[in-house]
Amino acid sequence: MILLRLISWQYVRKHRLRSLLTTIGIVLGVAIFVGMHAAGASVLSALSTTIDRIAGKTQLQITSGESGFPEDVLDRVQSLREVAVAAPVIEAVVQSGLRREGNMLILGVDMTGDRSLREYDLEAGDQDIVDDPLVFLAQPDSLIVTRDFAQRNGFVVGSKLAMETMEGERRFTIRGIMRPAGLGAAFGGNLGVMDIYVAQKFLGRGQRFDRIDVRLKDEYSLNQGQAALSQALGAGFEVNVPAARNRQFESLLHVYSFMVNLTSLFALFVGLFLIHNTFAIAVTQRRSEIGILRALGASRRQVFTLFLTESAIAGFAGSAIGIVLGRFIAKAMAGLIGNVMQAHYGIAERAHEIDFGTGLIAAAIAMGMITSILATLLPARSAALIDPARAVQRGSNQAFSSGKSSGRSIAAALSALLAVVCVFLGHSRVVFYAGYLSFVLAALLLAPTLSIWLSRLARPLLTAVRPFEGSLAADSLIQAPRRTSGTVAALMLSVGLVVSLGGLSSSTFQSVLEWVDSFLNSDLLVLASEDGTNRNFHFPDSLTPSLASLDGIADVQRMRSNKVTVKGASVLLVAIDMDKALARTSGHVVAGDLQQIYRLAAEGKGVIISENCGLLQKLSMGDTVEIPSPSGLVRLPVVGIVTDYLNQSGTIFADYEAVYQPFWKDRTVDMYKVYLKPNTSAESVKEQIQTRFSQQRRMFVMLNREVKARVMSNTRQWLGLSYIQIAVAMIVAALGIANTLLVSVTDRRREFAIPEIRLA
Amino acid sequence: MEHTSVVVASKPTHLDSSSEGRQMICLDSVCKEFDGARKVTALDGINLRIARGEMVSIVGPSGSGKSTLLNLIGTLSSPSSGSIQIDGQVIDSLSDAALTRLRRDKIGFIFQFFNLLLSLNCLENVGLPLHLRGYPARKARERARELLELVSLGHRLNHLPDELSGGERQRVAIARALAYNPPILLADEPTGNLDSVTGEGILALICDLHHRFGSTVVLVTHDEGVARIASRRITLRDACIVEDEHT
Repeated sequence: MILLRLISWQYVRKHRLRSLLTTIGIVLGVAIFVGMHAAGASVLSALSTTIDRIAGKTQLQITSGESGFPEDVLDRVQSLREVAVAAPVIEAVVQSGLRREGNMLILGVDMTGDRSLREYDLEAGDQDIVDDPLVFLAQPDSLIVTRDFAQRNGFVVGSKLAMETMEGERRFTIRGIMRPAGLGAAFGGNLGVMDIYVAQKFLGRGQRFDRIDVRLKDEYSLNQGQAALSQALGAGFEVNVPAARNRQFESLLHVYSFMVNLTSLFALFVGLFLIHNTFAIAVTQRRSEIGILRALGASRRQVFTLFLTESAIAGFAGSAIGIVLGRFIAKAMAGLIGNVMQAHYGIAERAHEIDFGTGLIAAAIAMGMITSILATLLPARSAALIDPARAVQRGSNQAFSSGKSSGRSIAAALSALLAVVCVFLGHSRVVFYAGYLSFVLAALLLAPTLSIWLSRLARPLLTAVRPFEGSLAADSLIQAPRRTSGTVAALMLSVGLVVSLGGLSSSTFQSVLEWVDSFLNSDLLVLASEDGTNRNFHFPDSLTPSLASLDGIADVQRMRSNKVTVKGASVLLVAIDMDKALARTSGHVVAGDLQQIYRLAAEGKGVIISENCGLLQKLSMGDTVEIPSPSGLVRLPVVGIVTDYLNQSGTIFADYEAVYQPFWKDRTVDMYKVYLKPNTSAESVKEQIQTRFSQQRRMFVMLNREVKARVMSNTRQWLGLSYIQIAVAMIVAALGIANTLLVSVTDRRREFAIPEIRLA
Repeated sequence: MEHTSVVVASKPTHLDSSSEGRQMICLDSVCKEFDGARKVTALDGINLRIARGEMVSIVGPSGSGKSTLLNLIGTLSSPSSGSIQIDGQVIDSLSDAALTRLRRDKIGFIFQFFNLLLSLNCLENVGLPLHLRGYPARKARERARELLELVSLGHRLNHLPDELSGGERQRVAIARALAYNPPILLADEPTGNLDSVTGEGILALICDLHHRFGSTVVLVTHDEGVARIASRRITLRDACIVEDEHT
């Protein structure tokens, strides 16, 4: 410890800026890791809390995808002998319409049975509305809110709250205020409870429920109840414990986690090079000091341990700063993750408190310290092996390595060979990645040699441009490859990442743009929800003829989207009017004939899947897809594969009339594609639709260019992490250059002094 | 002063067992070669016995192998061939850790360019070998203070090397070399970087400490005047001992 104070601390004090630059790689890596993971975990934890609190005493929940199911399913559930209580639920996240409140969770419940599952702990209002369901039913504008929500907005019992429903704006009366515990704390307190039949109208659900919450009789176990319910309802229904709802969100976050880990690992990897470079230089600079220590009786182990401890402390300090910085990132990212989840998946949940678990902090510190220690292993070994007799000689402190090593060249050649074998001869993804890593390793091992070659090549040019400074710069690079090779390697990785991510983002953006042009090619889009991804609001199908009859409209195509579980994955089922789509589409067909696949799908003889669905769910032409529906499993062959970017896990297109109606029995629509007659103004038709329907119902009409702008904005948001990765790569590249220049200036003070003397 | 001059042959000096026991440093047929673009023989077949408490100067022209010999005795480097004994311990087969222990416990170094750590003050520089030995910080500080007072630097305890004169720096280096009373003191051109007056003061200090503590002192110099303070003078030329005389 005393050696750290006497030797290491003095060095750090003397080279503050360099020490700071060195630890920034660790700071960045740890901050990104901690920030993003804490944000994801906090959003997940908030969702889990909401699910738990809403579930109350519920043991099992019955669902059938997002479309819900007809009311008669409730009778079938209640008739089972294992079931003690079965209560229908409608649950949706809607915009509250209140400034600064954002989203609100609407829970539609049937008070007659629901009190057996959930406690409505009212602190203000008429307890009768809970005690006597008829009071609640008799006043269909009744709404119960939480104390936090009421206090924030100055509501008391009797206050009115206006909300956009599928039947236009409706004013609800607050008839109860819940205490902030249990159910009252769900969704961060932004919760409104209303009667289930009011919720059906509010959200355009028709005579359908989203879910049935079940409590079993005491004598039946969870497994027995689950088995009985599954058997009674058939394959189209899912019977799960409430916590299972978290899994969907977890799987969505998994994609984010992967990218987050990649970014933080990259920052740490480059940080590793920076630390290695700095310590390698420090060892050469401190040769004399190490020699003195060795002459005075320091053992090799003491010298080795001293450098490793310095590095561990730098790693710890970097991690600690990274964790603090991570808190800010977490707050920003929690909002971003919430936005992305809502924009892309229609799941709205925000973290109200950032959850920094001790496990995450410990992992972050361990990650930072291990990276730092790994980076220092070789320089520490070099320090321990320094010959004290030579080191104490005056003028021996500038001994740099030649940058050439036959061992390293052999290792580089072997890595390159392995890369070629893996990339060109391997057939699995693991082998491909192994080959990719081998290639990176080969490039890193060759970095010092390549640096020397490039410097030699650049010397004539540099000398021609600036005879004195140019030759000094080139010679410095050639003579001290160790000083620059680490940075060259870090820069190589950074530039490689920037180019690959930039290319990937650009090509993704271009592909989405092409898809938007071909798929979202209608003149207008009429949506039940503002962003098009929230599938909580639906139009009744009866709206279709009214809409089609308006002046200037040539054609109206219905779209009804639902998440369904196929092969264990959550994919998007999109029901469309296939015959009409064929006339308008110019989509890119991956497999099958455009005319034939739409014709077969329109006849209900099969489904069309997206290319990513085929790849991820391992489905190809002719394979049978099993889709759960309230009427049982729907088995249809894949008749075509198209390019589509509606959903990351894949999309299945089926005909609205031939497939969706018979099996889902759901006559609702959540989006209309509207095509206009020639020479009709889209703006005027948009105005006409709004004038005709906006007073009656909730409706959003968008022009084609507005739709495209929204989709591209969402795409940019989704690519946001790639941009963060690019930014991180550029920051660490800049750090590497700054670090090398700083080291170079420190090392070459004598060299720089000569021209100054000459000039003087 | 009477001089006894002996020309030394390049063969081992045979000593009886009683004289062997009195030897502090024994070198038998020691060679040291440096590999590089061209192989350089720095020492060739050196046989040398230095008795406990003896003060020996090693002289010779530049490149004759003086410093190499001192480094071998100080266990800072190892011979290409031959055998070295320090205080009865054969060092050829010792591990690096054992060599470090030997160096730490038995050998003190005084360098021409002082080799003080510039970021540490006098107390810290002198206390450094004690810290390496695991001394408690307070005890090391007390001992360093005693030693600095011994070399008449009691008033410079918290000064950095850059704030001291050349002579004062060398005094700090001497105090550091004496930190744990090593039986062997190796001095490489201790006055080489000092003016003559300061140099004389340093030599007087080394002699005084040698008489007070009875350490074996090996002093490398190219200055005949400096060499004269030792009771025995060994002359090196072309990697060989060409003269070993008691003065």
